Amino acid sequence: MSLKKSISSLKLPHYKSTAGMAAVRMPIPKEVLIPLSPMNAHHATMSEPIVQVGDHVTVGQMIAREKDRGASHIHASVSGTVTGIEPYAMGNASGTAIRIESDGKMEKCPDLKIPQPANLDEFLQCVRDSGVVGLGGAAYPVWAKLSAAQKGHISTVLINGAECEPFITADHRVMLEHGDLIQKGIELLKQFLGSEEFIIGIEENKPDAIAQLTERFKDDPAVKIMPLSSVYPQGAKQVLLYNATGKVVEKGQRLASLGVIIINVSSLVKMAEYFVTGMPMVERIITVDGSAVKEPKNLIVPIGVSVRDVVEACGGLKEEPGKILFGGAMMGKPQESLDAHIMKATNAVVIMNRKEALKTEPSPCIHCGRCVAVCPLGLNPTAFARAMELEDPAAKAALLQKEQVKVCMQCGCCSYVCPAHRPLAENNNAGIGFLRKWEKEHPEGGK
Amino acid sequence: MEQLMMSSGPHIHSKDNSRRIMLDVILALLPAAIAGVVIFGVKETLPILLTCVIAAVLSEFLFNLITKKKQTVGDLSAVVTGLLLALNLSTNVLWWQAALGSVFAIVLVKCLFGGIGRNFANPAITARIFLLMAFTSKVAGGVLPDGTTGATPLDLIGTGAQLPTLLEMFLGQRGGAIGETCILALLLGFAYLLIRKVIRWEIPVIFMGTVFVLSLLFSGFSFETALYELLSGGLVLGAVFMATDYTTTPITLRARMWFALGCGLITFVIRWFCALPEGVSYSILCMNILSPWLEKWTRRKPLGGV
Repeated sequence: MSLKKSISSLKLPHYKSTAGMAAVRMPIPKEVLIPLSPMNAHHATMSEPIVQVGDHVTVGQMIAREKDRGASHIHASVSGTVTGIEPYAMGNASGTAIRIESDGKMEKCPDLKIPQPANLDEFLQCVRDSGVVGLGGAAYPVWAKLSAAQKGHISTVLINGAECEPFITADHRVMLEHGDLIQKGIELLKQFLGSEEFIIGIEENKPDAIAQLTERFKDDPAVKIMPLSSVYPQGAKQVLLYNATGKVVEKGQRLASLGVIIINVSSLVKMAEYFVTGMPMVERIITVDGSAVKEPKNLIVPIGVSVRDVVEACGGLKEEPGKILFGGAMMGKPQESLDAHIMKATNAVVIMNRKEALKTEPSPCIHCGRCVAVCPLGLNPTAFARAMELEDPAAKAALLQKEQVKVCMQCGCCSYVCPAHRPLAENNNAGIGFLRKWEKEHPEGGK
Repeated sequence: MEQLMMSSGPHIHSKDNSRRIMLDVILALLPAAIAGVVIFGVKETLPILLTCVIAAVLSEFLFNLITKKKQTVGDLSAVVTGLLLALNLSTNVLWWQAALGSVFAIVLVKCLFGGIGRNFANPAITARIFLLMAFTSKVAGGVLPDGTTGATPLDLIGTGAQLPTLLEMFLGQRGGAIGETCILALLLGFAYLLIRKVIRWEIPVIFMGTVFVLSLLFSGFSFETALYELLSGGLVLGAVFMATDYTTTPITLRARMWFALGCGLITFVIRWFCALPEGVSYSILCMNILSPWLEKWTRRKPLGGV
């Protein structure tokens, strides 16, 4: 491995002032609005409601059933009455959400049982019942990811505790506070997937988590704690995989075909929690931070709680908000108002003040090459920009294909470094969108 | 509550901007400019420096005005071009020739190709070559520090004539263009650009290193000759400030390294085998033209791509 070339990356300001703050439970909200999709995404993978307006529900009770592989079961996060099943805007797509008025009791669903799976199929079914999805952002159901083990042996489980995004410390807190559940999760995967190697990748800016977990697993040769340099985007799939194992997912390949799966540390813990308590995914730890937030915190919040309530639990706003993000400062998704609701894959709420939210007007590209030098995947964002300026759609598609815009993972490093402040990441995204559409319309020339 | 910003990520940005980069280049050129003024005299140099800079900025301003384009003089790149051109001229040049060079650089080489970031040839170098062609003796004729016209060290190498000492060469006590003689000042600028991360060390080092090594080989391992080659002409000025121009060099570091190697090779060949005493400008211009191909030839497969 000594000849291994290093992946380009970015040293970012961390803004992780909440790292030392233990997660605290927020007050029981009066109401939750639970979107029937695990995240605010373009793909509207929805679940089907199985309750009706007026129904009484309890914490952990299933209220919506998954409709397809991308969706997950949804469970009531508070006890109370269903007061609405209503349309809900999610990014560019529209979806549905279930509104529950809380009775303030947080009464547990009486039907919950501690699952006792006997084999892989039963185990996967249990994980499916838990409703746990990838909590690092992708929101892909964990059972579907683990089901790769039905097709081929998964020898290595890469547990992602990098948390390279500025502001977010939720995974960090999970690693500090739930080492027991990490251990439980690893035992489950050992037992049912038969994996031999567990690598927990953690950025060096979390020395306490590295120390604690190293101590916890010192007698387990299967578990390796791997300190990673604190650079962005260390936690991205391709980057983490390469830095931790030296492997690369080539074009057309699936990660599982390498015998590897990557699971976010919080997802692993949520999954393990279900096998300890029988409680499906109804709450999570989020980081609330940003210049406009009075008291930044790590909060344990019920899924579906409004940003307004979350902010309230953090002492309110100290400044007029300019931008509300679900996620960190690099890849966070902007929200339209304080009336957005926390979803399963929401790992942070970052609220910037108006001044920080303003973007500098772009100036012409000076061809400095910083975007190319920083791209972790070795792409050329200026070529995508050139392509998007072309009038002829066929020529545009051809150049985008040649420069392989679809490899781009939207990490945003190119935009961050651009001295001309050009919206490169945004342009890459537009390029991906254009090319997908074009290839669909031109299946022949879509090579 | 006012409307929230909905722009997509990233939501933070590095502190750099284009204007700051240009300002850094200007600051990095100042030691060489000051050294030129000290060595060749205030009266002889300052008018040329000012003429070039003012003509460059003015012509960009007027070009944008006449063609109704967005005003771009604020990015300071025209100042860089004007200053670089002036430092590449000898004190023999007449003021109107210097001004003409700036207009040529800005209008013909830069603005007509679409302005900053779009020109394929280095404006200052192309303008210098244009002036060399048009007014050879006036522009390139070696002006010695005492103001008399004479041969530059590059003309003298190999003739057996008396050369300045290596220390004089390093400090700039020799004939040549205003900004090219004081190697010490140029290296200060180089260090500043490295500290500010405006350029990387690879291009200048490979460029100069290639000339040095080839001179060493072809002179039968005469370190003295190789050092004279290194300190002579516009090699250091060209390698540090012109071969590192963002716009006219390839965009990837890998291709930029080949670019530098090519520059060194062509410079050496011109100096050693051709009738011309100096080859730095021509080598950079040649490689400017090759830049897109260098990018293509050195392309690597992206991670997870083909």
